[in-house]
Amino acid sequence: MHPLLEIKDLSWSIETKNILKKLNWSLYQGEILGIIGPNGAGKTSLLRCIIQHITNYQGTINFAGKNISTLSRQYIAQHIAVVNQVNEPVFKLCVIDVIRMGLLPYKALFSAETSADTLAINQALEKTDLTSLKNEEFTHLSGGEQQRTLIARALVQKTDVLILDEPTNHLDVYYQHQILQLVKSLNLTVIMTIHDLNLAHDYCSRLLLLDKGKLIADGAVNEVLEPSQLRGVFGLPCQPFISSDGKFTKIHFQASCLTNPQNDND
Amino acid sequence: MIKSPNLLNSILLLLSLSIVSISAALTFGAADISTSQLFTCLINDCNNVINQTVIWQIRLPRVLVGFVAGAGLACAGAILQNTTRNPLADPYLFGIVSGAGLGATIASIGFTEQLSIALPLAAFLGALFSISLVFLLSVTMNKSEQLLLAGVAISFMLSAVSQFILFTGDPLATNRVLFWLMGSLARVDMSNFYLILGVLIFSLVIIIAYHQHIDALALGDENASTLGINVTKLRLLMLAICAALTATIVAYCGGIAFVGLMIPHIVRHFFGSSTLKLIIGSSFIGGCFLIWVDVIARSAITDLELPIGIITSIIGSVFFLIIMMQGTRSNG
Repeated sequence: MHPLLEIKDLSWSIETKNILKKLNWSLYQGEILGIIGPNGAGKTSLLRCIIQHITNYQGTINFAGKNISTLSRQYIAQHIAVVNQVNEPVFKLCVIDVIRMGLLPYKALFSAETSADTLAINQALEKTDLTSLKNEEFTHLSGGEQQRTLIARALVQKTDVLILDEPTNHLDVYYQHQILQLVKSLNLTVIMTIHDLNLAHDYCSRLLLLDKGKLIADGAVNEVLEPSQLRGVFGLPCQPFISSDGKFTKIHFQASCLTNPQNDND
Repeated sequence: MIKSPNLLNSILLLLSLSIVSISAALTFGAADISTSQLFTCLINDCNNVINQTVIWQIRLPRVLVGFVAGAGLACAGAILQNTTRNPLADPYLFGIVSGAGLGATIASIGFTEQLSIALPLAAFLGALFSISLVFLLSVTMNKSEQLLLAGVAISFMLSAVSQFILFTGDPLATNRVLFWLMGSLARVDMSNFYLILGVLIFSLVIIIAYHQHIDALALGDENASTLGINVTKLRLLMLAICAALTATIVAYCGGIAFVGLMIPHIVRHFFGSSTLKLIIGSSFIGGCFLIWVDVIARSAITDLELPIGIITSIIGSVFFLIIMMQGTRSNG
């Protein structure tokens, strides 16, 4: 199977500081790839390289076999949707206005909304359970509802890949699971950065572990969440809890062993 | 829930308001012309030559230019606010009036013979000069906040140059420039109306074409960029449109402060902030507002015409504060 996204020798630095160091990995159709690592590991920078917000990197990023730097903004927007951390608008916009923006990569200037567009918006509203909130002001929504609105916009974008940057940030436990269950139910190819290792374990099919810009591990969830490896990266001893039926349930970091607050340079 | 009146109904309502405002404003003026005489002169030929001249060469151009100038300034303000995500953005913040003021100063001192042509032309060129400087700076500044600050710096710089020229120049020229900077519709004619209308229609067509792209900027530049939008190009295009629109208006009407800042905020209060509704609402309400401001300028004090910019600032600031206080109360 050909990879959908292929990262080859990707490096990026700001002045003399190396943020990403010779990364090599691939993404395949249908995967939910979680990118984990401490603050300053380079997770968000990696996503910004993929979506071409950072362009002065070294190495190659191929999307569907083509160098992504040669593809137009519009083409990228038709194939990769991004849910960034929520940025509150200064002016009032209602939920449906935000979701409608997902049509933009396909729309010529002056073109009106077609019945197919309306159908796509209504389906996205239904899938994200936002139909009753469609005329509400975006800033009046809860964090979880705002994330769902941006996911609905991504659905209207009808892309092959969905990229989420810290989708569970600032959300309570209920909304964290609600958002990630929604993402999982969409059957899309997903890349997301995520801080909570237990959520990463529950919802991702594969993980990349980054530390100081380096790829430390790439593989199945249980392989990457290996205690000695995590201890090396996060600087804290940890222990996986295994349930009576032998399933991995929770990673517990032993904060009492905290000696050296490191890696906090994000 | 956002108030979202039906677009077609809103347009019909605003159109009716505009027609009523234009018609009513034509009845105000020094010459004693009854309403029936006025409409007879507008629809058929006038029997009275003086009435014919007053209506067709003085009142109608003045009211129509007032409408398109108000519409243009309000539109430019609305677009600058939405594209820079800054509720305080206003065409004047980008140094356009200071540039126009410098042009007017140079014309008033250097071309006293043909001032009626030289002053608007120099003001237009001055406005273009200032906006070109902001453009040049914007190439190195991607952030909209930096762009606004660059505009403010250019504005102060050009004002200082104007003030220096006026300080060392003829006191009569100083008077002319100061009066011009306060804004007036006293010298306009139908050719000014057609020119401003042309630029306004062209600007509206471009803005309507990109209205959803402008909306997408509301969630941040990177968010808009992930939707395939070239944010820098879009912002520069909108800045160029606002500059052309404001420079044309300022060249003929002088400095009319506060319309570009205030009207979009009033419109947001009733129509929400999506660019399409905001632009339509700002055009009609801005146009009507300036027509009535001009009526007050002409009729508030007998035998004296007040500069229009003074009235826009007085009415605008009071109205603005009332709207803001209402907003604060409704937000709890």
